[in-house]
Amino acid sequence: MNIYLLQVVNGVGIGMLYFLLAVGLSIVFGLLRFVNFAHGAFYLLGAYFCYQMMEWGSNFWLTLVLVPLAVGAIGWLTEKLMLRHVYDTAHEFHIVITVGLALVVQELVILQWGPLGTNVAVPDVLQGVVMWGSFIYPKYRLFVIGFTAVLAVLLWWVLEGTRLGSAVRAGSESTEMVSLLGINVFRIFSLVFALGAATAALAGVLAAPIRGAEPFMGIEALGVAFVVVVVGGMGSFGGALLGGLLIGVVQSVMSTLWPEGARLMIYIAMAAVLLLRPNGLLGRKE
Amino acid sequence: MQRRQLLQLSALGALPASMGLFQSTFAQTSGAIQFGCPVPMSGAFAANGKYADLGMKLAIEQYGTALKRPLAYTLLDTEGKPATAVRKVQESAQQQGTRFFAGGILSSEALAMGKEAEKAGGIFITTAGADEITGADCNAATFRWSVPTFGAIEQTVRPLIDLMPKAKRWYTITPQYVFGDGLLSAAKNIFKEKGIEHVGNSYHSLAEKEFSGYITNAIAAKPDVLLLLNFGGQCADTLRQAVSFGLNKNMTILVAWASGLEQFESLGADLCEGIYFGAQYWHTVDSVLNRDLVKRTNDTFKANPNYSLAGSYICTKLLIDGIIKAGSADQKAVIAALEGMKYQGLTGEEEVRKADHQVLKNYYLLKAKAKAKMKNKDDYVDVLSSGRSFLPVDQTGCKKA
Repeated sequence: MNIYLLQVVNGVGIGMLYFLLAVGLSIVFGLLRFVNFAHGAFYLLGAYFCYQMMEWGSNFWLTLVLVPLAVGAIGWLTEKLMLRHVYDTAHEFHIVITVGLALVVQELVILQWGPLGTNVAVPDVLQGVVMWGSFIYPKYRLFVIGFTAVLAVLLWWVLEGTRLGSAVRAGSESTEMVSLLGINVFRIFSLVFALGAATAALAGVLAAPIRGAEPFMGIEALGVAFVVVVVGGMGSFGGALLGGLLIGVVQSVMSTLWPEGARLMIYIAMAAVLLLRPNGLLGRKE
Repeated sequence: MQRRQLLQLSALGALPASMGLFQSTFAQTSGAIQFGCPVPMSGAFAANGKYADLGMKLAIEQYGTALKRPLAYTLLDTEGKPATAVRKVQESAQQQGTRFFAGGILSSEALAMGKEAEKAGGIFITTAGADEITGADCNAATFRWSVPTFGAIEQTVRPLIDLMPKAKRWYTITPQYVFGDGLLSAAKNIFKEKGIEHVGNSYHSLAEKEFSGYITNAIAAKPDVLLLLNFGGQCADTLRQAVSFGLNKNMTILVAWASGLEQFESLGADLCEGIYFGAQYWHTVDSVLNRDLVKRTNDTFKANPNYSLAGSYICTKLLIDGIIKAGSADQKAVIAALEGMKYQGLTGEEEVRKADHQVLKNYYLLKAKAKAKMKNKDDYVDVLSSGRSFLPVDQTGCKKA
């Protein structure tokens, strides 16, 4: 198989993880107009909770369910006890408080698990690679692509086909109007924030067998998540998916075309999108 | 649990450091000889920095005083960035009077800090690898304990070629900065000499975390050996992802510059099995000083020393020994005392070469063993060979005099 085709397939795998990482950040911003720099911390917690559960003897599949729920609950509490009280303040204050929160989480992780990274084993059934001619791809990464695709459909259905989704979408247009209709917007805010934290944690769980768990992975993930959200369009579900895939494919293909610039290219791609479409590929004009 | 205690100790230092508040408790002592530990405490190489901090702490606590003056040190977070590192060294020299610096995990920051320490009237000693540190960019105030990139390649690539004469196709993955370029250049020279076909190289940035694209390049090139020239967390990520692509089953993998025990702890024995590693230090080396360090580290941290800790410890110890030998904390006197110094080091007999300030010591080729064959929790490898390879002084390009 052509090397570039291999890289495109690989890029889709990377991109699906980026999508999952970014979608929560995008939805939270769309509804709350809140820039959450602690989003990477939920990803970090997802990876470490996965590691810890597996150390305790749990199987991977259980962590895939329980960890997002646990981190979602932490996100819900964070929103309720802390962030809700600063929504009315300037964006700068949102940044300060969420960066602070991210640092506290990072240092707590170091305190508990140490500064070294740890390995998370790929589940036995997904060990090994798939070979198709010269195409070699880890089974686990194929699983991540499939699982994330199913999850994307599920998330899309929740946002587009349920009452909760209607309230979220309406809330992102006008929270005052939704509130006047008798919907408890603060409950919606909490739920959406918890959903954002849970999806970030799920990305952490899925990434752990690929990249391990290490205390500084949250900061790196946050950078990528912001790129994806900016490329796709702030607040856009479809934008997060498109942005994630675009960035993943660009990064992977550039690994062959211009290896030393592959990382740089994701930021160049972001700059190019911002120049051509300042609101992102699928973003709405304010 | 032993490892966790060590890590928790490290973490206690990390919390204030990340908030920019760190100052060693020893740093407050008046009249003290001030040391600086400029290492990355945040970013991709933070884990190495945190162990380096413990290494300096151990050495400073061991001596307590020198020339009847208390010893003190300050941890300086370089973030792995040369510009930040230089600023931290400047500030520490100006505000705290620090003159003795041991640190610089990354070559790029080490090169910059060495120049700055010289300007500040201080001395800088490092474990960073680029040949230039004691080569073309050497200076009178910079010393290096670790074997540079030339020696690391000589002691890993060459013996592996001898071990596997039929492996003629090699692929490299290289971080694009002075350290990676040094390793790559040295490897290419050996390939040329030995008739090895270098079937490709993927450079990557220092910020990279996703290596599957580069691994796909390597698969397409169908090499017999994959040579990884990156370090620390990046090396661990590359290795983890290479194994997930099944490369360990289809080719031999050599990590030219492993970060040591911490890398094995991080990756686990199953993942590392059968992979070759080059190492500056291994805790089972049979030398007087190493036995003492292992005991000291176990007594203090309930764990064996790793390379980052051991490197920082020996660098700090060398500076203190230099001060004691000189009978003065004056820059020129300490430099003169260190030059040509022979001592029993962590790897046996070591010597500070006068002409370029390079410590002459062993480098090791290790092979990771199966988990079932490990005799204890840290028994990850068999030491296959060790030896010294250094460019002759006239070929290093060092003109410090």
